[in-house]
Amino acid sequence: MSSWLQTAVERAADVSDGLALKRQASLELLCDAKWPTRKTEAWKYVPINVWERAELSGATNDTVSAPVIDGLDSLDVVFVNGQLQSVAAESIEGLTLISLSDAGAQAADLFGTIKPDRHLFGLVNDVLATEGVVIDVAAGAEIEKPIRIVNLLGEGAEAHTRVLVRLGAGAKATVIEHYSGNSLSRNTGFAEYQVGEKAQLEHYRFALQTGEAMSIGGCHVELAEHSELNSTLVGFGSALSRIDVDVTHAGSHAFAKMNAIYLLDGKELFDLHSTIEHAVPNGTTEENVRGIVADNSRAVFNGRIHIHRDAQKTLAELNNRNLLLSDRAEINTKPELEIYADDVRCAHGATVAEIDQKALYYMQSRGVSRAQAQVMLNFGFINELVDQMPNEALAEWLRPQLRERFASMEVK
Amino acid sequence: MTEQIDKALQREYEAGFVSDIESDTFEPGLNEDIIRRISSMKQEPEWMLEWRLKAFRNWLEMEEPDWAHVDYPKIDFQAISYYSAPKSMKDKPKSLDEVDPELLKTYEKLGIPLHEQMMLAGVAVDAVFDSVSVVTTFREKLEEAGVIFMPISEAVHKHPELVQKYLGSVVPQKDNYYAALNCAVFTDGSFVYIPKGTKCPMELSTYFRINEQNTGQFERTLIIADEGSYVSYLEGCTAPQRDENQLHAAVVELVAMDDAEIKYSTVQNWYPGDEEGRGGIYNFVTKRGLCHTNAKISWTQVETGSAVTWKYPSCVLKGDNSVGEFYSVALTRGCQQADTGTKMIHLGKNTRSTIISKGISAGRSNNSYRGLVRMNSSAKGARNFTQCDSLLIGDQCGAHTFPYVESRNPSAIVEHEATTSKVSDDQMFLCQQRGLDPEKAVSMIVNGFCKEVFKELPMEFAVEAGKLLEISLEGSVG
Repeated sequence: MSSWLQTAVERAADVSDGLALKRQASLELLCDAKWPTRKTEAWKYVPINVWERAELSGATNDTVSAPVIDGLDSLDVVFVNGQLQSVAAESIEGLTLISLSDAGAQAADLFGTIKPDRHLFGLVNDVLATEGVVIDVAAGAEIEKPIRIVNLLGEGAEAHTRVLVRLGAGAKATVIEHYSGNSLSRNTGFAEYQVGEKAQLEHYRFALQTGEAMSIGGCHVELAEHSELNSTLVGFGSALSRIDVDVTHAGSHAFAKMNAIYLLDGKELFDLHSTIEHAVPNGTTEENVRGIVADNSRAVFNGRIHIHRDAQKTLAELNNRNLLLSDRAEINTKPELEIYADDVRCAHGATVAEIDQKALYYMQSRGVSRAQAQVMLNFGFINELVDQMPNEALAEWLRPQLRERFASMEVK
Repeated sequence: MTEQIDKALQREYEAGFVSDIESDTFEPGLNEDIIRRISSMKQEPEWMLEWRLKAFRNWLEMEEPDWAHVDYPKIDFQAISYYSAPKSMKDKPKSLDEVDPELLKTYEKLGIPLHEQMMLAGVAVDAVFDSVSVVTTFREKLEEAGVIFMPISEAVHKHPELVQKYLGSVVPQKDNYYAALNCAVFTDGSFVYIPKGTKCPMELSTYFRINEQNTGQFERTLIIADEGSYVSYLEGCTAPQRDENQLHAAVVELVAMDDAEIKYSTVQNWYPGDEEGRGGIYNFVTKRGLCHTNAKISWTQVETGSAVTWKYPSCVLKGDNSVGEFYSVALTRGCQQADTGTKMIHLGKNTRSTIISKGISAGRSNNSYRGLVRMNSSAKGARNFTQCDSLLIGDQCGAHTFPYVESRNPSAIVEHEATTSKVSDDQMFLCQQRGLDPEKAVSMIVNGFCKEVFKELPMEFAVEAGKLLEISLEGSVG
């Protein structure tokens, strides 16, 4: 166990809340687990020592208001530096939002354990998370307003938060996970989603921390029969940014559409691991991941599709396309297929290249400046996925931010 | 259909017979003394022994890799005998007539054209029987062209300057666990040197065969193609049926100097074990080629054997404009496990690589493609295209793909695509409707699936590979 974890665990041991028992169990698992090094396959490209070495001053508990997204009209749950600051008070039929502390002893039964064999930091979060929220959507309820979980991280903060979302049969909801902060901080943010039969989840994760912020987190989604997931993930990369998305087709005929975008600049690092488990027949997965990597940054993508023996008639496709803008930038991508059933259709593809020089030339010949043409081409590459976001207000909010980022990205 | 599958599964391993030849075999065990003994048996010079011992000391500190998608009981390296030579070798045969008839019969059963057939086939064979090269044919004709083709143990004596310079230059001693082991205990293998501007007058070929029980085969191949030369090298492997697992940890090093071209083709048909997964060869092989400017290395492999395969023929594209190719067909059935693929390391400008991998899984086997394409920051204008296709036959097998793509140069273009499917019902229907029986139809479809790779094989090999596949697939699908 690393020294950072040692001290963090000691701090956590003093907390007594509804999760105490569960925390103890996870701690035991964690003590037995092997701490990752650069030789650990899943952490091969991530300098985990940066995480351990950082000395944090501890954050002041200021009241900060969540960034407003025009036209979104969301129900907000706001965490500031890992402390729950506010929960939307509006009462909506079929929706309950409870903080972890209000959930009391029953919280231990609610939260699962995040696959410790695969994600060590899920265990870390199990042990350290003392703040969180449980969101329940009753069967058949359709929640129109999107639910937004905001995590704001200030200088020196160390935050470990946990989210549990449960959609009853036939329910419909939109959940947005929104992380932001650009100064030295450390956070693990894990979210579990249980999507009931025929339920529909529209999910967004905006991992917009940049600069010195360090973040390791994940989303774990379990899909019941005939349920649907439509997920969009946007990552900007920071000193260390790692997200593990796990989707399990636990019921047949489920459908998962997953789009992910990462845009990196400066010395940023972004590592996205996605794992799709097809445990039952007739599931469908469509995953599209696109990234642009500039300057001295490094992107890592590991996309695994695992088709179990019984998962016949599965359709799964994964596509990862990357643009590399500088000769100091780096892309490491690994789309994996692990297939144990024969009557399936699976494909994956990955490409890495630079901006099409012919397209650049063409645009310049039409009077567009080179810099402008680059922004346009970059934007076009990414916008295809932004256009697919079902929530127009979010897309509108995102586009100028992307444009701003493209403008600062230089092609070298 | 089930009947046919059963029939196919119960098919006996055709190359499974034991040659009754007296052998000179070391007792099992591995320590510095054994290495000294191997070295003295071969009357090796001091530097060679030092090199072996250094590798052995490195090996002791290394850990057995566990990242591959294969599962097998831990190997007891002390239970293996590291040297075995047919006894009649002591007074070396001067010509084919002097070769132990038992030995020749073995080859005949395997269908190696070692006699007159060979003249017709125009193939020079350096046949490795267990550990010592038995006979090298066509050497004179090759000598005329200036080509050196001999057992590596002989090259150590006759061409020490070449061996010393290139041995371990492509696959360093510490490269991996099994390569280090091979450095310490390798007994024999082939050595090829093609002089400047020479096109090797014939295709070179080695047939490896493990015969003695509980012996590991650790052969070492070194091929050097000097500037502007060309060579095509064929390697075929097979082993008799044994109940215990046998270890095979070979190292192949290729050096293609400026403008040279090496074509390396393998048909591997080691014993895969019985249908319960008992026995069979553990095939842990390190193969790597180094390309200098404008050079080209092409790996073609057809893998149908071995209980466990762990093999990644690779190219280091060091020189500008160099080309690396990898064409592979891997077929697994029964309880076979294969984790195979390639590594293309692009260092030079405008380097190009192509990877075509076809995996076929049947029975309860697992077939994985694992590949790495790395574009270093110096690889300006480099290009890679990778295609991995998997075909599943039956619902108890597995097909997996683990491609690593690492790019550090924006002008480099990397493309990877992979698909997995089963033999389509439509195709089967169409073939049967035209009067083909299901077995023929599958064989035809699979042959079509592998066509891109087969066309890269030299003629004789392509025929053999096609047949091998056909036999292996017999009745797998109805």
